[in-house]
Amino acid sequence: MTALARPWTRRPAAGAIEGQEAVLIGVIALLWTALGLSVDTFFTASNLQNILATVAPVTIVGVGMTAVIVTAGIDVSVGSTMAVVMVIVAQQLRDGGLAFAPAVGLALLVGGVLGLINGALVGYGRVHPIIITFGTLNLYRFVALQIFGGREVAGVPGTLGPLGGGAEGRTFGLPHSWLLAVALAALMWAYMRHVPTGRHLYAIGGDAEAARLAGVRVTRRLLTVYAVTGLLAGLAACCMIGGGGLVAQSAGTGMELQVIAAVVIGGTSIQGGRGTVLGTVLGALLVGTVTSAVTLLSWPNELTSLFIGVFILVAVGSDLLRERRRRSL
Amino acid sequence: MEEETNGAGGPLLRLTGVRRRYGGVQALRGVDFEVRAGEVHALVGENGAGKSTLIKIISGAEAADAGTVEMAGRVLPGGSTAAAFEAGIATVYQEPQLFGELPVAENIFLGRELRRRGLVDRAAQRRRAVELLRRLGLDPGLADVRVADLPVAQRQLVSIAKAFAHEAKVLILDEPSAILTDREIEVLFDVLRSVRSHGVGVIYISHRLDELTVISDRVTVMRDGTRVATRPTAELTIREIARLMVGHAPAGAAQRRAVPDGPPVLEAAGLSRRGAFRDVSLQVRAGEVVALFGLVGSGTGAIARALYGIDPPDSGTLHVAGREVRPRTPADAVAAGLAMLPGDRKVQGVFASKSIGFNISVGHLPVLSRARVWVDRARERAVASQFIDRIRIKAPGPATPVGTLSGGNQQKVVLARQLVRRPPVLVLEEPTQGVDVGAKDEIHDLVLGLADEGSAVLVVSSDLPEAIRLADRVLVVRGGRIVAEFPHGAAQADVLAAAAGDAGDQTPDQGADQGADQGADQGADQGSDDRGEER
Repeated sequence: MTALARPWTRRPAAGAIEGQEAVLIGVIALLWTALGLSVDTFFTASNLQNILATVAPVTIVGVGMTAVIVTAGIDVSVGSTMAVVMVIVAQQLRDGGLAFAPAVGLALLVGGVLGLINGALVGYGRVHPIIITFGTLNLYRFVALQIFGGREVAGVPGTLGPLGGGAEGRTFGLPHSWLLAVALAALMWAYMRHVPTGRHLYAIGGDAEAARLAGVRVTRRLLTVYAVTGLLAGLAACCMIGGGGLVAQSAGTGMELQVIAAVVIGGTSIQGGRGTVLGTVLGALLVGTVTSAVTLLSWPNELTSLFIGVFILVAVGSDLLRERRRRSL
Repeated sequence: MEEETNGAGGPLLRLTGVRRRYGGVQALRGVDFEVRAGEVHALVGENGAGKSTLIKIISGAEAADAGTVEMAGRVLPGGSTAAAFEAGIATVYQEPQLFGELPVAENIFLGRELRRRGLVDRAAQRRRAVELLRRLGLDPGLADVRVADLPVAQRQLVSIAKAFAHEAKVLILDEPSAILTDREIEVLFDVLRSVRSHGVGVIYISHRLDELTVISDRVTVMRDGTRVATRPTAELTIREIARLMVGHAPAGAAQRRAVPDGPPVLEAAGLSRRGAFRDVSLQVRAGEVVALFGLVGSGTGAIARALYGIDPPDSGTLHVAGREVRPRTPADAVAAGLAMLPGDRKVQGVFASKSIGFNISVGHLPVLSRARVWVDRARERAVASQFIDRIRIKAPGPATPVGTLSGGNQQKVVLARQLVRRPPVLVLEEPTQGVDVGAKDEIHDLVLGLADEGSAVLVVSSDLPEAIRLADRVLVVRGGRIVAEFPHGAAQADVLAAAAGDAGDQTPDQGADQGADQGADQGADQGSDDRGEER
């Protein structure tokens, strides 16, 4: 009965840390070492806290975006979703005197509803998610601007300070927002790795029709991942409001690109079916480090774009090379 | 051995009066069908006979318009793969339904994960997967390998393992052998015999009739959406099955055309490509139509792709009009004077959103352009209009997007593209696939007309009536080699029997010419008795 047996030596697929993640850890370690040696202010508490607090909202949304992209989808509306949440919550904090918990609850509710709308359109619409969420990107932005009513929201109280980047947003020197991001990432990591419906996300991204035939509830899963991404955008919005002050009309603009960059740099395939949340956490951290480094070194800001662009192309390129190697089997 | 198992048990699965229509096509016209516990039930029929539709309905992938599907006496709700699965029906589709990025073990249990406290129990899944792979004669080490890293044949075996993972009562195998090697098929058959002895009912779909006589207990023949016969396999010869498949339809051969004598315009000698075809030699003269007929997986498509430079041959020679050519890309083939109508139009043929004019002129832009850089749109339109009239494309005008046309008319557009500059050699792969009957006749007339005007035409087809109708000679391909040649006017059943493996133990391992002679002999005087030793 060994007629079909062929020796097969290949790295088992189920290792806890995958190739791209190991590479990212290496690159980040290298960068931090180099920066630590060349810039005395890099390894200061305030700088590291600043990096983590900046990276936190991107990571939080990235946790949901990873799941979305693994299903071969994408959500480019997250920035607009955050804008809607931020303006509504900021106004309520200022005018309604909302307390911390209700404010977060409101943010989650609004974000979740907007995400659910995306999920319903993607799940039932059978139109490519980039088109649908591009539509809602504009739609949600319009809604946000309507609520802004032509004015930024100024004088927002510091109710959400514990989630912000200030001193009250830290425990043992670590920003709460980043701890939260890591906790959420761990949850999503466990879900996508160990829970059946989480594994199904990879199946949907691999081949949605085959997944359906295998008994996966495709529409329900899509609905869920977009709703969760909206929910997380709501949470990230709370971090952005943070210590209060001003919420400008441009709130959340470009967020989707930062998040997608983090996910892609983290090794998640934009074609779906492969990717991990750990990669996204590292991808966001790398982007944050580079941004900070450019500032600390007083290099021109546009270099940040250059580095991020190169990272994305390298990540996508290595993905392509893997694919090619496989084809040639 | 078949008889005893057949006697055991009533029907496990029973279909009654199942109908299904797709648009204007009645795919199933009231089919009754049953599978007993402990039998391998072969389901055969020509392309379009309704086998795949029947399978989709049994597996719940689609709902029937009318009729019922019962498992062990209980009627199943239509159109639910989950319900069919719960009832014990497992399906191995023709295309492996696997997920490339997931390891084999996870693929096997996807959708039905083994759980422990709500979480995926990877360890248990891995253990069971290893067990299953062993049983299927596969390397148990594959359990941890990503499916994308496996060769295609092994993927197919993994999808079979997946079907075995859940103690199915009815197992459906849709052309499982199309991409398996003989040895792999042997292993598969061993496994089927073993599940049969455990009371599983197996529905086995295959074009290879020689296989059926080896593995199946009963055979059901379908034709035009109806069940024409269900008989114990032992009572039928391959030729009889072939005859039931094609029916008593008139051969429908076009009038024999006078083929002018002359040297071959297309001449292939000893073409081989590893894993696809071996030692293929053929000649087509100017004005001649030669059909390369073979069942799905026989290698005809690969031969066509080799001629056209898509997947070049490893060895052998190719001459066009006496000149040796070695096309390594389609552009080479075009330059050498070959034109090809590819088999998968959706992928290779039409630019759906573009106009008829664009679709016809693309690939001929130098001819249609001034000073070779500027496409003369007026001339493009004029050429398109001319073809719309000439080959009766039903469309308002040359600016109509091709995507809005019917399949048959799209096909004509692709054909027209090859005719802008009349090529000396025309290779047509499945020229009427997915085309309705009326358009089919028109395309056939067109092909014959081209030959009359002096083109050498090679038609690669798995559509038997088409091959017989069009061709001055039919070359039958099986297992990657030409095994028989029939003259114009051959009987369908003879050609099909040759393609499906009748006398399969006699013809192979010899040159194409010798095989051809034997095939022709069979066509002439073959009885039903010469397959005895196969059983």
